Amino acid sequence: MAMDQEQSHKSHRSHKAGASAKKKNKKGNSEEDGKNKNPKAFAFNSAVKAKRLQSRAAEKEQRRLHVPTIDRSTGEQPPFVVVVQGPPKVGKSLLIKCLVKHYTKHNLSEVRGPITVVSGKSRRVQFIECPNDINGMIDAAKIADLALMLVDGSYGFEMETFEFLNVLQNHGFPKVMGVLTHIDKFKDVKKLRKTKQRLKHRFWTEIRDGAKLFYLSGLIHGKYPKRETHNLARFISVMKTQQLSWRSSHPYILVDRFEDVTPPERVHANMKCDRNITLYGYLRGSNMKRGTKVHITGVGDFALTGVASLADPCPLPSSGKKKGLRDKEKLFYAPMSGLGELLYDKDAVYVNINDHLVQFSKVDEETGSSGKGKPNDVGVTLVKTLQQTKYSIDEKLEQSFINLFSRKKPPASDNGHAKGNVPDGQHHDGHSGGHVSILEEDANHSGDEVSEDDEAGKNNLTGDSDSDGFDEGNDYATDDDLEDDEQMNPFSHDLNEEVELHNGRLRRKVTSSSFGNNDHLQDSGDDLQEFDDDSDNDDVHDDKLHSSSESSEGDDDLNSGDEADHSSKWKESLLARAMSRKNGNLMQLVYGPSLPVLSTTSRDADDSSENDEEFFMPKGERTKNLGDNLSGDNLNAEDSSKFTNTHLKDWSDEDLIKSVRDRFVTGDWSKAAQRGEGEGMGDDGTVFGDFEDLETGEVFKDIPGDNNNGGSKNIIKGNDPEMEERRLKKLALRAKFDAQANGSDLSDEEDHNKKKFHQNQAGEAGGYFDKLKTEIELRKQMNISELADLDDATRIEVEGFKIGTYMRLEIHDVPFEMVEHFDPCHPIIVGGVGLGEDNVGYMQVRFKRHRWHRKILKTRDPIIISVGWRRYQTVPVYTIEDRNGRYRMLKYTPEHMFCLAMFWGPLVPPQTGVLALQTLNNQAGFRIAATGTVQEFNHETKIMKKIKLVGHPLKIFKKTALIKDMFTSDLEIAKFEGAAIRTVSGIRGQVKKAAKAELGDKPKQRWESGKEGVARCTFEDRILMSDIVFLRAWTHVEVPQFYNPVTTSLQPRDQTWKGMKTIAELRRKNNLPIPHNRDSDYKAIERRPRKFNPLVIPARLQAALPFESKPKNKPPRKRPLLENRRAVVMEPHERKVHALVQNLREIKSEKTRKLKLKEQEKRKAYEAEKLKDEQLSKKRQREERRERYRLQDKKRRKS
Amino acid sequence: MGKAAYMKLKGSFHFRQRLLLATLSTKAILIEDIRSDETSPGLRSHEVSLLRLIEKISDDCSVEINETGTKLRYKPGVLVGGKYLVHDCGLSRSIGYFLEPLILLGLFGKKALSITLKGITNDSKDPSVDTFRTTTLHMLKRFGVSLEGLELKIVNRGAPPLGGGEIILGVPIVPTGLTAAHWVDEGMVKSIRGVTFSTRVSPQIGSRMIYAARGIFNRFIPDVHIFTDHRSGPSGGRSPGYGVSLVAETTTGCLISTDIAISHPKPEDMDTMEDSYEKPEMLPPEDVGVQVASILLGEIEQGGVVDSTHQGLVFLLCALCPPDVSKVRVGKLTPYGIETLRNIRDFLDVKFVIKPDPTTNTVILKCVGCGMKNLSRKVA
Repeated sequence: MAMDQEQSHKSHRSHKAGASAKKKNKKGNSEEDGKNKNPKAFAFNSAVKAKRLQSRAAEKEQRRLHVPTIDRSTGEQPPFVVVVQGPPKVGKSLLIKCLVKHYTKHNLSEVRGPITVVSGKSRRVQFIECPNDINGMIDAAKIADLALMLVDGSYGFEMETFEFLNVLQNHGFPKVMGVLTHIDKFKDVKKLRKTKQRLKHRFWTEIRDGAKLFYLSGLIHGKYPKRETHNLARFISVMKTQQLSWRSSHPYILVDRFEDVTPPERVHANMKCDRNITLYGYLRGSNMKRGTKVHITGVGDFALTGVASLADPCPLPSSGKKKGLRDKEKLFYAPMSGLGELLYDKDAVYVNINDHLVQFSKVDEETGSSGKGKPNDVGVTLVKTLQQTKYSIDEKLEQSFINLFSRKKPPASDNGHAKGNVPDGQHHDGHSGGHVSILEEDANHSGDEVSEDDEAGKNNLTGDSDSDGFDEGNDYATDDDLEDDEQMNPFSHDLNEEVELHNGRLRRKVTSSSFGNNDHLQDSGDDLQEFDDDSDNDDVHDDKLHSSSESSEGDDDLNSGDEADHSSKWKESLLARAMSRKNGNLMQLVYGPSLPVLSTTSRDADDSSENDEEFFMPKGERTKNLGDNLSGDNLNAEDSSKFTNTHLKDWSDEDLIKSVRDRFVTGDWSKAAQRGEGEGMGDDGTVFGDFEDLETGEVFKDIPGDNNNGGSKNIIKGNDPEMEERRLKKLALRAKFDAQANGSDLSDEEDHNKKKFHQNQAGEAGGYFDKLKTEIELRKQMNISELADLDDATRIEVEGFKIGTYMRLEIHDVPFEMVEHFDPCHPIIVGGVGLGEDNVGYMQVRFKRHRWHRKILKTRDPIIISVGWRRYQTVPVYTIEDRNGRYRMLKYTPEHMFCLAMFWGPLVPPQTGVLALQTLNNQAGFRIAATGTVQEFNHETKIMKKIKLVGHPLKIFKKTALIKDMFTSDLEIAKFEGAAIRTVSGIRGQVKKAAKAELGDKPKQRWESGKEGVARCTFEDRILMSDIVFLRAWTHVEVPQFYNPVTTSLQPRDQTWKGMKTIAELRRKNNLPIPHNRDSDYKAIERRPRKFNPLVIPARLQAALPFESKPKNKPPRKRPLLENRRAVVMEPHERKVHALVQNLREIKSEKTRKLKLKEQEKRKAYEAEKLKDEQLSKKRQREERRERYRLQDKKRRKS
Repeated sequence: MGKAAYMKLKGSFHFRQRLLLATLSTKAILIEDIRSDETSPGLRSHEVSLLRLIEKISDDCSVEINETGTKLRYKPGVLVGGKYLVHDCGLSRSIGYFLEPLILLGLFGKKALSITLKGITNDSKDPSVDTFRTTTLHMLKRFGVSLEGLELKIVNRGAPPLGGGEIILGVPIVPTGLTAAHWVDEGMVKSIRGVTFSTRVSPQIGSRMIYAARGIFNRFIPDVHIFTDHRSGPSGGRSPGYGVSLVAETTTGCLISTDIAISHPKPEDMDTMEDSYEKPEMLPPEDVGVQVASILLGEIEQGGVVDSTHQGLVFLLCALCPPDVSKVRVGKLTPYGIETLRNIRDFLDVKFVIKPDPTTNTVILKCVGCGMKNLSRKVA
């Protein structure tokens, strides 16, 4: 800490000569010159402009900000996933090979599955090659931390690149880097430069301006140039991960090892039986609890049968002060590619030996013991014996008479796999090298293994592994020499330790006599004793891999298995042990001594009954613990949160009063303060050291008198992790302090000041955003410090397995197709399913057809949705929200506009990205059909569509009419009673009731002949028989409850997955025409003028009319009326006026005539002028053109 | 998926929490053997009423009860909430029984909840509505729930056996989720507040209870204010009764409450007693005052940031937080609290670290929340 003496470093000396110096000089000078010449040029002249610029700057600043998210990962980070993607034949595998070679100096023959490489002192990288089909691309996009998008520079961008980019954008956009390959195909440098430029800008428009596009020029000896690979590796190594919301809230595992652990006899009996598999990989995203349900992409949802953390197969080098990595630490791990020497399992270690290095197996068979160097090699003998086994385990079991166990298991019933006989590696096809499975017999070490202290908590108590061990034990017990050999075998001891440490295995318990008393069984003089201790595990971690013989790991054998095998006996004893041990432990009291496996499913009926019992075990417990008020039938006890203490104390008693006196403000404040601090002290004495507030620079002194000082000093002396821890605690403490200062309204002046100070600081630093950030940081520190004092087992219980642990997941009853069609080139992703995400319901998605997709999408045409971890086919209904909040169905997705899609499927939280595809085959154009985000989910949909019921009058009364054809039944009419209707001519009306034959009606009417659906309607006016009556209404649209998981992992990868077909596909297949309604055709409307018949008044009526209203038949006249014939003679005055007016008019018209003539002349002159000009200019232009062409021609000829 | 996997449970024990947690974690449950051995087997009326209430505030949940009522199949739907809902809680349990799950369900709904509940407001079995208003609602503040829209209005009071009370509860939704709480400092009691109620009895009873309670508190703290709420007429419900609800507020803002309600017992309870057909005497108000004060002092003595009644709720709130560490301090763990912890483990897969603090005789619980988010909310 004492860094007060400033170390003088050599100061930076800038170049005085050379290119860089020149450049700098020039730049500086020009700037200076500019400033000197006109100092006002760069100042604001206008206040308005200044303000505008300022606001723009502020806006840009705000746009840069994102809501800060909490990063809950602590400790060692999982490897950084680099997905290498590109169209076929672009050089993906080669790039991975080159990078791996760069990191590890190993040549990779082929790239299969994820390849983990230690790339730096604190960084690992996992490469995956993205497969070329869309499913693989989607899966890879969901887990990529960095996508290297390879582009064939000689060809340009291909569809895959853009598809992949769009997939990335929808499933959280990780970092993307473009890599241009095949640049050596360009002969012309200029063209190359142009192409680079073009591709770069196209790439930028897709991602962002300035996105990195890397160029790999050509191949040297079939490899990319070393220098360029090196540069690329450096770019990869400085990439940072981003927090993506889906990923940070779901645990997920990229599987880098896959094993089929089905008992071979089961497979033998039925090839198509459901398999048990184990999946291995680094845990990412968020912490994973034991009970988590998982989704395996392309397969389906499964419950985890066993979860365990294993030793890191590719650990980071131990942190020391050195530059770079030593060769030993340049590890890589790629079991699917057959790389990495050691494979860890929960109870075994597999040593992988290349074929050309191992020869003994075949040689032995043929030539017997040939003259190889070491005939008595332990490993060789072991393997030989294993290979020479003639009998299966069952048979051996039957033959064996050495029965170590008091309770013999019927050999037929066990479902353990015969590991001793068949190495596991034979089940999966990914391994080129041979496997030697080294297994261990535990019985002879049983003395030291029961020494589990808290390990019981860690266990996932299982039976499957039980039976394994049982088999193994028996197997070995049958031949003694093998056993002897083994004791010399260094592997065996290690394994022994592992296996035994955490298991509640039957065999162990029987052999160890002093089973009940737990603590002191570590007596045997075994040299491996130290590995028992949990505390030692961390140290073991580091030097574990490069020396396989020491590779014992305490915690990598958390057992897993199915509940079916829970054998009651060992459970009992375990229970008893736990009971005896933890008397005072409240956690034990509350959660019970046995670790209950949740009785979740009703699938295993026989099982659940047992579990239920266990679940309700607390019956006896509770009565014991909780006293008298819960006696009686516990299952049906009264449900009340109120806790009534039956015996009340008499609070007039002085002693009693004294005892609570300090709980009141009238009491002793210092005692109360101590009480408040008590928990901090109780947690960890070392928390309260001296510490410095990083923000304010104040130093807080610890209260002396405690023994803390010694403790803190120790810690300072301790190594790095401890320092780190201490720092975090300090931060957390500061958080606590801040919380106090803000939360309580203490009038303490100092506190007050401090509070102010903090607020000021926050305000200065950028207000709300920084406040949020500090809050998140404090929350994080608090989390770390609160969990720091827990032991590992409890910690896993409480927060789950941590991000970055290497996990082994065991899953039972997986369809056999997954194993059969397993292809290491396709990534297997195991994603955790969140709360409620395994439920099915309707989802509302804000949805937009992708503008590159050729066709619009039709309602009820199945689409394949990729959302969350899942991919499934579903049938959407597209809607749009009207102004009044109604969801109106659309037949097709609108162009260039968002709509809503409603579909049925497994629910995901709102704001998750959705991707829709219509087809999965490789030949299609741009396959991404639409994109969107989830808005809401629900269990019902309220989609409406317009409906128009059309009817015709059947009979018209005055203003009432009977309408037929509109409804089909009386029931339907009843539903529409009171609905508004209208005729085409615009007469409005209302539906009244179904027409009924009434007493007064004529009996033999047509509509009464048993036909339903005739409605009586009234109108505002009498309608005509030719009128068409219609009813406009809204009707509910059902969204089909259909979804079909896309199970691409359960079929050969080269086949395209077949799901439900679209209507168009069905029509094409069955050769059906598109139905055509001729009434819907658009035709020109021709309206003939309507001919009205002359009005005829009946004679009787006419007779009755008054004369005025009677039609009068007048004959036509021959002569016009007198009124029209008469002549008009003017008065003298009138005549004068008339003449005057006529004269005036004459004058005016003459004037205008003249004016017009003048105008015409003018225009004529102008036209002539214009024509002249035009001719001139034409001539000039022609000249010019001629000149230009001549010049151009000349130029061309020259060049 | 597809077919729902039901979680199998047995007995009517902790019915409310099971329903609550099943709804929040959207797990379907199957409860068997509900009082199958008793003379009157099956679900009680209040339990059925609770199921009805949950049906009312959620969409598409399915409840199947067999003929005898000893078997229940519950499949939760989407919590919706909504305004102007009315629910009759019946007379077998008080409204407090329904409020406890309802308040949590309301927080995780699609829309804010506003509901009128009718029934018994004050009861000896369940926390009274006064306690709810003064204490429980304020607890939510610690977990990042804004107090806006969080309200409880007592329209009518109703004492058992005939009830007649009516309250209006408003619960806002949480936009994303709760926030983890670090709540260990219990502070010192600085004031005691409370309210007495009396319906269809002499209005003096309230002041008599206050007088008795003050007599005890005066030896500890001067800042004691207990209000009286006397109801008569229709707002007083249909049965006579009286009681007190007390809250002790500490310097750190913790609220420790207790309540007591006295009324004539319900007819079914009377059956169990020796056939004394005349109504038994109610406890005199002075004794009630002394009793409630003693209970409160007992709670204070125990320590912890909440009283024993609210332990379960605090645990639930902690477990529903985002995956951060929540830390609370409580006094002695109550049976209800313990059962809550077990239920939380079964449904939400959240385990608490439980550590006794020997210096203060309290228990400190820590947990990492299950990361519950308000999923049903619509995002614009």
